[in-house]
Amino acid sequence: MSSSNSIHSSAMKFAVKAWSNGRARAGVLHLDCCPTPIDTPSLLLSTRKGLPLFISPDLLPSLPSPDSHLLHVSPLHFLEGLSMTTISKIGGLHQMLGLHEYGFAAVPRDSIQCLPEANSTNKVGASFETPCGRLLIKPAEYMEMISSLRPELWATLADEVPAWVSDKRNKTSVDRTIKWLDECIALSPTGGAVFGAIVGGSSLEERQRCAQEVARRNVSGYWVGGFGLGETMDERPALLNAVTVSNLTHIFWQK
Amino acid sequence: MALRFEVLGRFNRARAAHLTLPHFVCETPLFMPVGTQGTIKGLTTNQLEEIGCQIILGNTYHLALRPTSELIDELGGLHKFMNWPRAMLTDSGGFQMVSLLHLADITEKGVTFQSPVDGKPMLLTPEESIQIQNRIGADIIMALDDVVRTIITGPRIEEAMYRTLRWIDRCIAAHKRPHEQNLFGIVQGGLDPVLRDICVRGLVDRNLPGYAIGGLAGGEDKDSFWRVVAQCTAALPEDKPRYVMGVGYPLDIVVCSALGADMYDCVYPTRTARFGTALVPEGLLKLKNRAMSDDTRPIDPACACMVCKNYTRAYIHSLVTKDAMGSQLLSYHNLYYMMQLSRNLHSSIVQGRFPEFVCNFLQKMFPKGDIPEWVCNAMEVAGIDISSCCAPFPSAQD
Repeated sequence: MSSSNSIHSSAMKFAVKAWSNGRARAGVLHLDCCPTPIDTPSLLLSTRKGLPLFISPDLLPSLPSPDSHLLHVSPLHFLEGLSMTTISKIGGLHQMLGLHEYGFAAVPRDSIQCLPEANSTNKVGASFETPCGRLLIKPAEYMEMISSLRPELWATLADEVPAWVSDKRNKTSVDRTIKWLDECIALSPTGGAVFGAIVGGSSLEERQRCAQEVARRNVSGYWVGGFGLGETMDERPALLNAVTVSNLTHIFWQK
Repeated sequence: MALRFEVLGRFNRARAAHLTLPHFVCETPLFMPVGTQGTIKGLTTNQLEEIGCQIILGNTYHLALRPTSELIDELGGLHKFMNWPRAMLTDSGGFQMVSLLHLADITEKGVTFQSPVDGKPMLLTPEESIQIQNRIGADIIMALDDVVRTIITGPRIEEAMYRTLRWIDRCIAAHKRPHEQNLFGIVQGGLDPVLRDICVRGLVDRNLPGYAIGGLAGGEDKDSFWRVVAQCTAALPEDKPRYVMGVGYPLDIVVCSALGADMYDCVYPTRTARFGTALVPEGLLKLKNRAMSDDTRPIDPACACMVCKNYTRAYIHSLVTKDAMGSQLLSYHNLYYMMQLSRNLHSSIVQGRFPEFVCNFLQKMFPKGDIPEWVCNAMEVAGIDISSCCAPFPSAQD
């Protein structure tokens, strides 16, 4: 096992500070935009159209810092009422939201309102159920959003399936996710850190296969998706284990 | 009396003053946001302080229902309950009952209505209203008056005016905390100058700490509205604050200030924000409008508030009526706008440039010079020359 325990990209630096006796590790994340480094494990604040749901932006500094400086953004939120052209004109997320000392992590789904719709996903794109209806997002379209929004880090487009799909459908989801990973990387803008998406449902083998494929690509981190879609709490540790066993030193996963 | 009112500057009838209340020293003219149920919708008390809010209004009716005035009293009063360190005013509860409840019946005893909680008949008397307000603990409390909308005509208006005078004595008798809370009387009388005059004189005889002009802001025509305000401000004592209830629009506030009023309240700025409308010097900006979707300017380039400093019209457009944050941000801007208007009124009078301020204000709102006639008439009575902002009459162009 090689022991690379730090990674650099233009917007992000990550290093592991300490390991537990098991697999847990404490790390530190440096983002250019954030004045102080962020300790990991770290929880991202959920947002709606970029702003936290529960607190207005001028009151954000009253939350503990720097732990509350990482915000999760769903690019799909902006499809309602704001064009990518306008967002580019404004200058991306930081300019648009007036939050210059916060780091944005873009992931398509938000686990509340924008949910993967596996039955409608096809070889062309990932389908999501959203407040503005069902949307099919192609990798090229997704990358256009990422290029306009300019988040510090972003997950590649994935085909997330619920735990009860057939083995065949599950395998297809891994194949598609890897294909879209390559398409997204090819279109990635400068400046953002790419987090390769890892899926595989409830199959240990598929999870492992996906992780190994993603690890071969030049990415800055890994986004472990497909959770919270019907698997039991008991299944999760083993599935996560299957992913992390492949020498992945920097991961973020989402329920 | 638990207040001091010190006039710092004047222009004709307009005055700027220091109003010293138990919890805060305020500068008038001022606008008071309405915090119906112990909160201004969409803003924290920190934010209210930051934007320069001096007094907020609590609604006795709503608070008496939930969480009850007894609980508020037990917890140390409304200031402590909602963590607001500055000044507070509560109304009597009368207006809500009449405007919200269809089956309200007003008798000499008080206002009988159906409880919205269980439908049982309830009676709000002057004594009960004052007791509730004593428990809530605001710096200024309002007498229970017999409110009649100005669009109504006939003997009911006269009956209401005289009853208001009888009720003020019951309010004064019931008031247990005159050294901590200021009881304001409310001038009624509809649009009838004779009735208004009788009411003013009756209230002034009681030597109250301050006076409100009630019964307006209910749909009457603007010409009648300003004349009632003008009459009342002329007759009320110089050395006590004058509060025009339920006003409102920035233009109305400027006119009433020119006529000598000091305090205002209205739900309009926050309510219109929740519908996606921003207050700007030109009037209104409707953020829901499709044209806003790619407008990358701030709501008001001249505004220094957090919203205008950080957000584009396009982004706010994407939020309004769909996401709660849209209402919050617009409410913040609109209240900031009203606080800035209050500050501008106060400082322009103190600094001897009130007429210039008024002309500037009108010019921005009516760039074509089409200032409504009622405004011109009111300004004439106020002794403010706004001819520079009015478009010339067609006949003068020959």
